[in-house]
Amino acid sequence: MSEPAEFQHRRRIQRDLSRRGFLTTTAAGATAMAADMGQINALQSAAVTQQLKQQGTRVILLWLAGGASQFETWDPKPGAKTGGPFSAIPTSANGVHISELLPELARRMQHTAIIRSLNTKVADHGGGASLMETGRLRDPGLDFPDLGAVVARELGRLDSSVPDYVSLYTSTEGRRKGTSGILGARYAPMFLSDNMIPLNLAQLDAVSTVDHKDRAALRDVFAKQFSKHRNNAAVDSHMSAYQRVRGLMASEQLFNVENEPADVRARYGPTQFGEQCLIARRLCEAGVPFVKVARAWWDSHGQNFETHQELCADLDHSMSVLLDDLNERGLLENTLVLTLGEFGRTPRINASLGRDHFANAWSCSLSGYGVRGGVAYGKTDAEGNTVVDGEASSADLFATVLQALGIDHEHEYMVGSRPIPMADFGASPIDEVLA
Amino acid sequence: MDETDTPADTAAEQAVVSSVKISRSFALPGAVFCVTEGDEQSQLYFGSSDFGIYRIDSDAEKPAPEPVSDSRHESYVTGLVRSGDTLVSGSYDGSLIWWDAESGDVRHRVQSAHEKWIRRLAISPDGSTVASVGDDMKTRVWNAKTADAIATWGGYELTTPHGYPSMLYAVAFSADGKWLATGNRTGKVIVRDSATGRVEATLEAPVMYTWDPKARRHSIGGIRSLAFSSDSQLLAVGGMGLVGNIDHLGGASRIEVFDWQSGKQRYEIEDTKLKGLVEQLKFGPDDEWLVAAGGDNGGFVSVYDGAEGTLLAQEKAPMHVFDFQLSDDGSKLRAVGFERASVVEIA
Repeated sequence: MSEPAEFQHRRRIQRDLSRRGFLTTTAAGATAMAADMGQINALQSAAVTQQLKQQGTRVILLWLAGGASQFETWDPKPGAKTGGPFSAIPTSANGVHISELLPELARRMQHTAIIRSLNTKVADHGGGASLMETGRLRDPGLDFPDLGAVVARELGRLDSSVPDYVSLYTSTEGRRKGTSGILGARYAPMFLSDNMIPLNLAQLDAVSTVDHKDRAALRDVFAKQFSKHRNNAAVDSHMSAYQRVRGLMASEQLFNVENEPADVRARYGPTQFGEQCLIARRLCEAGVPFVKVARAWWDSHGQNFETHQELCADLDHSMSVLLDDLNERGLLENTLVLTLGEFGRTPRINASLGRDHFANAWSCSLSGYGVRGGVAYGKTDAEGNTVVDGEASSADLFATVLQALGIDHEHEYMVGSRPIPMADFGASPIDEVLA
Repeated sequence: MDETDTPADTAAEQAVVSSVKISRSFALPGAVFCVTEGDEQSQLYFGSSDFGIYRIDSDAEKPAPEPVSDSRHESYVTGLVRSGDTLVSGSYDGSLIWWDAESGDVRHRVQSAHEKWIRRLAISPDGSTVASVGDDMKTRVWNAKTADAIATWGGYELTTPHGYPSMLYAVAFSADGKWLATGNRTGKVIVRDSATGRVEATLEAPVMYTWDPKARRHSIGGIRSLAFSSDSQLLAVGGMGLVGNIDHLGGASRIEVFDWQSGKQRYEIEDTKLKGLVEQLKFGPDDEWLVAAGGDNGGFVSVYDGAEGTLLAQEKAPMHVFDFQLSDDGSKLRAVGFERASVVEIA
């Protein structure tokens, strides 16, 4: 499965160039971009979208909370004792078959790489979620940031006026807020649970929009006078914080899908997950580097097949529309869309026609930016009990995602004098799924 | 009636059933969703999750399943009925197959009998017609010998009120063959004139469907079984009560009995002792009792008073029961389920 070293080297150089280009462009254009989020609808114009496309990379993580079955999604085993009742269907990628429960995604497989060989070993909800969120086992002495915080740190802009990391988790089961750990609160997610529109962002009723703008302008005048002859990081930081708060207040409208045309909303469909995928697109379009949309709850100990008929229908439709929408706006080439959960489900079907927790041989998907679409990497045995080719750990997946984004997974954060690599020690990106 | 007796005590004293006992159990290949009798009531045919149809002598010293044919469906076999020497099977693959019960030869195959999973079959008492229900939310009627399609009826929404695919699980003929009842995931029952398809009654049993809007955001349940009384006046509807944690089949086993022509519920049963789905139901001789079987990770066989729903006798089954056949005299129930079969004595 390995490719020639020369090709790998060339690809790394291309990525490095791309990364440098991104940073240069970002420095020049970030302040102007989305500075006034009250004008969000202007972002729908092709010209602005084109500008955005050149400025940044984004990630949408579709978190399949509770653990989706690999048999009923990316690694079907029709006819096997463990395979369940569903058939496998061909996809737009030659030779790649997925579950019949994902017909729309099958038609878009050219955008998607599947990894079928995750062996992550941890099969309890809390431990599995932590492992897959951070790419490493818990370390009592180290609060490692999750993927969203790492991406926010690496791809977010210091002067950004939109959130760097937004996490939507509406269901209560398995709800996790995410953590920025050692990176600090600056990269913690804006976490939305009960309401899809953030609370406490709205302008007070007692303050009119005119008054609000006047106050901001007056503050700017004083602040500029104060900072005129002071080249001081603390002053800059203070200014940046105000700019950021102003942007966050205006970003309230980003979360309101009623600002979208009716036909776009109809396209995403009536489900909550569909609506949240639409919000994710709006946030990415506005420059938010990392959006997590959790779809709970896939923990199908009983009635696994009925559960997946419901949840896969939701995933298939919502994710397909999301990919199409991103693609039509030119954003898919800058946006990586992941499906991942804490683990997969057992090959053994239990007496309640359910499947239980299983982390030894399961699947995830990567679509869009940085991904070689139409690829199914890794292999499990005929009944899906073990990985027989291309075994990948959570650290390998973490490294793969970072590499897809053009981030050096071996880069180290220093915690005191302790170097901590972004992807855990020994992690190796899966080059076969990288563009 | 003694002044200290409770109604339940009185019902038990008067009941013709006081015990349910599993006399033997044996292994089966895979999850077995459907069973029908041969000429001898001990001879059973069943359909399995390994896509095959089998026969077995349940009275044999060591019952051994024997494939009826080398041919198989392409997914789980979920419905099986017999008309004379013909078996008709239905599957999640959407097809119906007419088999020679003896040789296993395929007589007819309707590849796309339903556009989605077939959930169950029922055969009219005279053996002339087969009814099938599937997740395309259609009820279809077939000639039991020729495989000709006779009628197709709708009446159900394709999706649940929450926007997800619905399912049509249950179908049953009345004892006189005049009525056909069907039941779906959200608790809707339609009773039709089996000859004309005219809708005679629509009943609602919404407690059978649990939608969890907050914690897990999907659903579980549905009407899984239907049975008419022998006089066709009552219709028993089986499923599961509301579930707290829908990761599991943790709801009470639930039965609602309707005087279906008036639309009035006669009584309801919520059994929290042995939980899970009521997968199959039958009224006993003279409708004096009603037997239900199903389960969660385990299984149960329960007998209730036919007039009031009082529990008369109950037994844990060694497997989740998906289907059973009840002997003509009501003394013996042959149940199939998850990897096992049991013979149950009713006395």
